[in-house]
Amino acid sequence: MSEVPDSVAVIDQIPQQGEPLTPRTPLHHTARAGGAGQLHYREHDLTGLLVLRGNAADKAFAEAVKATFGCPLAKTLSFVMAQEVSLLWLSPDEWWVLCPPDQAYALEVQLRERYSGHFALANNTGGMTRIQLSGPQAVQVLKKSIPYDVHDAHFPVGKVVATVFGKTQAVVRRLGQNDWEILARRSFADYIWRWVEDAASEYQR
Amino acid sequence: MTQINRLQAGGRIDRSKPLTFRFDGKSYQGYQGDTLASALLANGVDVVGRSFKYSRPRGIMAAGADEPNAVLQLGATEATQIPNVRATQQAVYDGLEAQPTNGWPSVNLDAMGFVGRWFGRFMPPGFYYKTFMYPQSLWMFYEKHIRRAAGLGRSPRAPDADQYDHINQHADVLVVGGGPAGLGAALAAARAGARVMLADEQEEPGGSLLDSAAQIDGEAASVWVTRVVNELADRENVLLLPRSTVNGYHDHNFLTIHERRADHLGDRAPEGMTRQRLHRVRARWVVLATGAHERPLVYGNNDVPGCFVAAALSTYLRRYAVAPGRSLVVSTANDYGYRAAFDWQDAGHEVVALVDSRANPQGAWQEEARERGLRLITGAAVSDVRGSKRVKAAAIVPLNEDGTQATGSLQWLTCDTVATSGGWSPAVHLSCHTGARPQWRDDIIGFVPGESREQMLTAGAVAGSYSLADCLKEGVSAGLKAATEAGFSGADVPVPTVSELAETPPMALFAVPHPKPNSRAPKQFVDYQNDVTAAGIELATREGFESIEHVKRYTAMGFGTDQGKLGNINGMAIAARSLGQTIPETGTTVFRPNYTPVTFGAIAGRHCRELFEPKRYTAMQPWHEQHGAEFENVGQWKRPWYYPKPGESMQEALNRECLATRESVGILDASTLGKIDIQGKDAREFIGRVYSNAWAKLAPGKCRYGLMCGEDGMVFDDGVTSCLGANHFLMTTTTGGAAHVLEWLELYHQTEWPELEVYFNSVTDHWATMGVAGPNSRKLLAELIEDIDLDGEAFRFMDWRQGTICGVPCRVFRISFTGELQYEINVPAHYGLYIWERLFEHGEKYNLTPYGTETMHILRAEKGFIIAGQDTDGSVHPYDLGMGWAVGENKPFSFIGRRGMKREDCVRPNRKQFVGLKTKDPNIVLPEGAHAVADPSQPKPMAMLGHVTSSYYSAFLGRSIALGFIKGGHERMGDTVYYPLEDGRVVEAEICSTIFLDPKGERQNV
Repeated sequence: MSEVPDSVAVIDQIPQQGEPLTPRTPLHHTARAGGAGQLHYREHDLTGLLVLRGNAADKAFAEAVKATFGCPLAKTLSFVMAQEVSLLWLSPDEWWVLCPPDQAYALEVQLRERYSGHFALANNTGGMTRIQLSGPQAVQVLKKSIPYDVHDAHFPVGKVVATVFGKTQAVVRRLGQNDWEILARRSFADYIWRWVEDAASEYQR
Repeated sequence: MTQINRLQAGGRIDRSKPLTFRFDGKSYQGYQGDTLASALLANGVDVVGRSFKYSRPRGIMAAGADEPNAVLQLGATEATQIPNVRATQQAVYDGLEAQPTNGWPSVNLDAMGFVGRWFGRFMPPGFYYKTFMYPQSLWMFYEKHIRRAAGLGRSPRAPDADQYDHINQHADVLVVGGGPAGLGAALAAARAGARVMLADEQEEPGGSLLDSAAQIDGEAASVWVTRVVNELADRENVLLLPRSTVNGYHDHNFLTIHERRADHLGDRAPEGMTRQRLHRVRARWVVLATGAHERPLVYGNNDVPGCFVAAALSTYLRRYAVAPGRSLVVSTANDYGYRAAFDWQDAGHEVVALVDSRANPQGAWQEEARERGLRLITGAAVSDVRGSKRVKAAAIVPLNEDGTQATGSLQWLTCDTVATSGGWSPAVHLSCHTGARPQWRDDIIGFVPGESREQMLTAGAVAGSYSLADCLKEGVSAGLKAATEAGFSGADVPVPTVSELAETPPMALFAVPHPKPNSRAPKQFVDYQNDVTAAGIELATREGFESIEHVKRYTAMGFGTDQGKLGNINGMAIAARSLGQTIPETGTTVFRPNYTPVTFGAIAGRHCRELFEPKRYTAMQPWHEQHGAEFENVGQWKRPWYYPKPGESMQEALNRECLATRESVGILDASTLGKIDIQGKDAREFIGRVYSNAWAKLAPGKCRYGLMCGEDGMVFDDGVTSCLGANHFLMTTTTGGAAHVLEWLELYHQTEWPELEVYFNSVTDHWATMGVAGPNSRKLLAELIEDIDLDGEAFRFMDWRQGTICGVPCRVFRISFTGELQYEINVPAHYGLYIWERLFEHGEKYNLTPYGTETMHILRAEKGFIIAGQDTDGSVHPYDLGMGWAVGENKPFSFIGRRGMKREDCVRPNRKQFVGLKTKDPNIVLPEGAHAVADPSQPKPMAMLGHVTSSYYSAFLGRSIALGFIKGGHERMGDTVYYPLEDGRVVEAEICSTIFLDPKGERQNV
């Protein structure tokens, strides 16, 4: 019989027994990749996602975060990376921790051991997917998709925003001059994928 | 047919690229660089349409967006039809097909023209309203025929073959208009380093410079244009948009630009290219350099083909090398009209007379006219025209000094073309969109943009500065100012030098007096598109319309697709004079978006067909599709509705799904239900405040059903919340209510109880949820789950356990929406489909049956479980639902809705209460929404007792069941009520308990 934890129920969500299972990403029913020439796009393999809520002004919290994830709390509208972990600022008290899926449990346990104040951590790995958009024409696809300004001066490498995407929403971050990432909610991923395919079509000729 | 009006040389057309096009069934030739209007004029086509009310022949009058007559239907196929395209703004391409938008059987032989000619004098303003008002019931009939007769294009009857899209743009400086002021502004702002957009509605930037005889910096104006455009095109910080009309200026410097990407290329857009694109621009600063429209004078028969605004003639002559006539009379109230006469003369045609309304103008232009040997007549103007499908003669009349009286009789001059200039009207349209009211300036005799709240500058003719030197100077300075304000400075942009003739002050002349009073004189058109005349406006003021807005609506002045660009100011001047007021006293009407018509395709963009609306899918969607599910929209989710087998009707499928679940085991994809992870030491307290029932004692490992109410005490959502740990809960919500509930929790946390330590996170998409229900559900799960003791005593109803299913970590909740033994399994969504498939592998021997939302509805109705949003409508509190047990009256802290449900009206007797309903005939299924009455024979309107909210056929019970509201229903068990239906039947039903099946819960508590 399983044991229910006392204060917060934390579970390792990685299958431990039998043959390794291939997780089905939200876009597994599509080609998962497309593009040519000046523009490419593909769905990233499954990524661990921990949604972190807490008080950035609380020094102990910030230190525990840094010790656990290897990078500090990201500042407003930016993300930071260390090794295999990314920390994305989402709102004044919300960050997304991206990590390899099999590290999510260990990271959560570590942070809970380091810090016992008021915060929340929710495993949302299954709820999100990452679509990489690369090439010089990537900005054109973004301009057709989001109202946010993607100009170099306004959206430099290292920035992340949550914004309107078509008729839904997405988190968009800039990883390099011509490398972008759309973080889409699982249930909307099909719509966003179709939108990207459609918006990209004119640049693949 | 030859291009009889084409000049031998000159113009910006490419004579090496002839193009063939068709208009009104006839084939013509034009050149690359022509507009449809210039090509039609080159071919000597005089009549392009028939007028709205009187069906008079109409020809091309202008050369731009202000053209009121040449409004055509384009498209070679049904799928490519575009109505109301201005021929003056449409480039000719090979194979272009154009039709007039009115005139039957053709514009040259129009049946309705007879009506207009003979009965026109009996058609005053408001004619249609006055004549066809009675009987009111016939208006629809009249309207259909009036509209067909009037006609202005038609919509396509086949789906559009092309695609359209939207793009978001951001600019430091958006320059609207690519004439001298706009080019100067864009160049200055670009050199300062600002991010610049320049939008110009024409085929190429340059505006008036493209037909100008002026020299800039010692070179032809067009050379300067080319140099500036090349520099702008080379700059990375500039986006040049030709064929792009800024159609809307919305709040906060948000502007919409309609770019016609492929309309100049052919009937269809090239493969892989959208036909039109709507740019959604957020600009820090906007420079309006929209120019001005020339006002024609208002005179008798001024709509006969061959009557032009003067500047349009220069455009056709110099830019398109077309002389649309042979002998010209120019009538002007200023120096600007002189240019048309000079250009006409330069083209080698006859200028019969250059008529200036000013008594004794003495200046550089007059001097040149005399040097050129032109016949200059002063103190007079054109007052009448002879001709039907083409001007045959024009009559001039001597005027008094202020132009208000004809001081002599008509003098007829033989000619085929008349050009008039009453001055310029700045194109204030976009500034009006921002709420700025135009301001009258006596010195320029025109309205200029009023003060705007937006970060907006104006430059050039739109600001009332008409000389080329002023346009260039103001453009450069506005561009620099906008760039500086946006944070860019230090650019050195010299203002180009210009040599031009000095101007003599213009005269304010709008309508030219006729020796006869206007009511008896020939028709003097003000608004060509709506056939509004000077006499009509005067009649409107005599009938008591004093506000210009009322005059406009009564006469329909400015209501055409051209929004009265040519006529509005003349109309206001006529109304002002008729009312004995000045123009500023009378005021002006304002403009709304869009500046010129925008196609529906451009408005829709890619938000159409499969991308019209997001469709949300669960992880098991591929399986549902493979197994023939019919889908139901729940919010944006696609949920399986039912799974018909081949040949099965919907009811047969539902019967099968229901029986399989009640008799063995069924499975529902419940992933769409909202799931909110709640953490923090005050999580329990918070939940107690937002749900009506008690939560203080819910132990970890336990689940509880909760009702969520608004402040008014009315139920808006419900669901099961599980205690995962002392400081950790998982709340479930309805599928459609998930986003609202999360916002509701955040709202109360942030605004009412920020002191509570709690965080909410949506984990809806993270978990795939499968509801396994039925007497065999435990046996099935026992084959797949090893580490949870499923024994009924160890894992009880309303418990949850953590475990592993087929190797995948999971949470299993023993909750039931069917009344059966039921487990809801949550696994990470990326393993959802895998587990779903494993369940079916093992479930075959139990006849595991997938069921959709409809069977879910039937099964829950058999148990009397409500669906928030179907059985509740925002006017129902927990006691109405018979769910007083879910109201924690003794909670120490209040909860949302507690006071609301205690209001006088909420506790009165005889409120509508939730009950079960059994029809007397068990085979009749009441329609949802049917209303109950006590006595069906009472006279109408009957006194209604309540209505049916849920109604189904229950295969398991072998009869119909329904849920609904009845006044005082909880005290009326066993009473009979009647449902009179739309088809005349009256259905008799008995009020009963909402629980039709297993009231003791023996099926689920096993």
